[in-house]
Amino acid sequence: MKQKTGHGNFLTHTGKNIARFFIYFIPGLFAVSCIFPVIWLAYTSFKSKTEYTVDILGLPSRFYLDNWKYVFQNLNLGHYLFNTGRITVLVILLTLIASFINGYFISRYEFKFRKFIFGAYMSNLFVPVHAVMVPTYILFVKLGFNNHWWSTILPVVCMELTTSTFLVNGYVSTVPVELEEAAAIDGSSFTRTLFTIMLPIIRPILTTVGIITFFHSWNEYAYSLIMFKNEKYYTISLALQRFQGEYFTDYPRMMTTIFACIFPALLLYSLFSKYIMKGMVAGAVKG
Amino acid sequence: MKSRLKPPKKVMVTYLLPILLVYFFIFIVPIIMAIYFSFFDFKNINVKTFIGLRNFKRLITDANVIISLKNNLYLVVVNLIGQIGIAFILANLLHSRLINRRIAELYRTVIYFPVTLSAVIIGCVWLLVYDYDYGLLNWFLRVIGREDIVTPWLGTLSTVMPCVSIPMIWQYIGFHLIIILSSMSSIDPGIYEMAEIDGAGGFRKAVSITFPLIKSTLGVCVTLCISANLKAFDHIVTMTNGGPGYGSTVLALYAYKVSFTQIDLGYGNTVSVSIMVVMLFILGVVNLIPKWINRKRGEI
Repeated sequence: MKQKTGHGNFLTHTGKNIARFFIYFIPGLFAVSCIFPVIWLAYTSFKSKTEYTVDILGLPSRFYLDNWKYVFQNLNLGHYLFNTGRITVLVILLTLIASFINGYFISRYEFKFRKFIFGAYMSNLFVPVHAVMVPTYILFVKLGFNNHWWSTILPVVCMELTTSTFLVNGYVSTVPVELEEAAAIDGSSFTRTLFTIMLPIIRPILTTVGIITFFHSWNEYAYSLIMFKNEKYYTISLALQRFQGEYFTDYPRMMTTIFACIFPALLLYSLFSKYIMKGMVAGAVKG
Repeated sequence: MKSRLKPPKKVMVTYLLPILLVYFFIFIVPIIMAIYFSFFDFKNINVKTFIGLRNFKRLITDANVIISLKNNLYLVVVNLIGQIGIAFILANLLHSRLINRRIAELYRTVIYFPVTLSAVIIGCVWLLVYDYDYGLLNWFLRVIGREDIVTPWLGTLSTVMPCVSIPMIWQYIGFHLIIILSSMSSIDPGIYEMAEIDGAGGFRKAVSITFPLIKSTLGVCVTLCISANLKAFDHIVTMTNGGPGYGSTVLALYAYKVSFTQIDLGYGNTVSVSIMVVMLFILGVVNLIPKWINRKRGEI
């Protein structure tokens, strides 16, 4: 067997193979731990309770659909998915419009209170939602804004404005001003330039904003917890928690519910993983 | 670049003001209210009485606050080491020239996936691991014949905090991994080649080249990790709801419980405000450390 050379650090052939083994094996093992739970949930959703208790890891012996029927018919999971989806779509829309306008004006023009306004949007970073739970709750109850299907939309939009305003602001500053000046000379009105010229140009950053917002809104929990008292407005996070308390002894049913909640995110992720990773990290680092 | 074509004031106000008003109303006003309310005792939402600093006195003598704060700090330390440490090691392995680019990419994509899931889902999945009767962990222990260490993992005071932190570490390794990898990809490969010619091995390269060159990125990771764990809430509510007893309660959860389960809005709000104070204090200190070290170096 070859030994390491006298200088000690040059890897020989064998050494390189050992190194290669670890380089593939360690991250590989961790990657398996990340994807295995999803696969486990997926096939267990076709197992009956007795089958599960006999062998918790075994594959289903036949195509058992009762769990799925139960989850969508008795638990009415579709309704909670719809609630979450409805909120998410509106949150994304409002966040895109608001951050586009905020980012554009703050980046492009010098005006009174510009720094102050930008600072106000950024202050969100140091104030977690949990620090303002009580006053938000009181404010919403007094105005009668709590416990409607739309109750969490504006709070979540505001939560998202910090990162998204920051991202749009940064992106707009890289677009040359001459574009709008040329448009103005050609007689385009301000609003028209804003929406027909600027908007298409900054589409890449808005895609990023949309992705970040989707996941934050889809996974939102704290505001929903204090806003929704009525079960019919529950989002999937709240519904999952309630089911978990009530049906916890029926594992395959629980796992079917979890898998159904993961599925939309899984689908999106498998289609757009590159954008999603890039977008979410950009939001976190810069925000 | 600032534009010379400033639109009329009226146009600017029409665009900016509505959003700003909503934002102030939903986010800035509650911050001010939170500070103001911490001097009050609430009978209900509408009736409150001024009690001066009594909420704060109660806060610093409340044993549960101390436990919660300790648990928060435990999470911060364990997650800093676990998330960023493991992510740094994995990043170095995946950045190696010995690994096939495609496979490295696949690993990265798969490892990032848990980050996109909600904490409630992650909590539910891990409940299936820790469950006493049919959990994966106890099943595995029984299979390998270690029946003796089978316990209700989340129901035992000595194991609950480590067991709660493992899912949190596991979920967010991918997040820090991507940040670190993207920062590593901007390092000139020539530096590594030169180091290799000089005889540097993988470990040497990671410690002496990669680490100092991505220090500022690691700083961002540290800040994000600290603030995420000081506001830890969702995972813990799902997995243990703070139990057994107050064994795994964190500040945000305690504030929630006092406010909305015990319906003591005044004191609960004060506990909430303390999260903000602790966060600003710790982030301030952490950001001062590098400056302090640099100054010390400068003196020498």
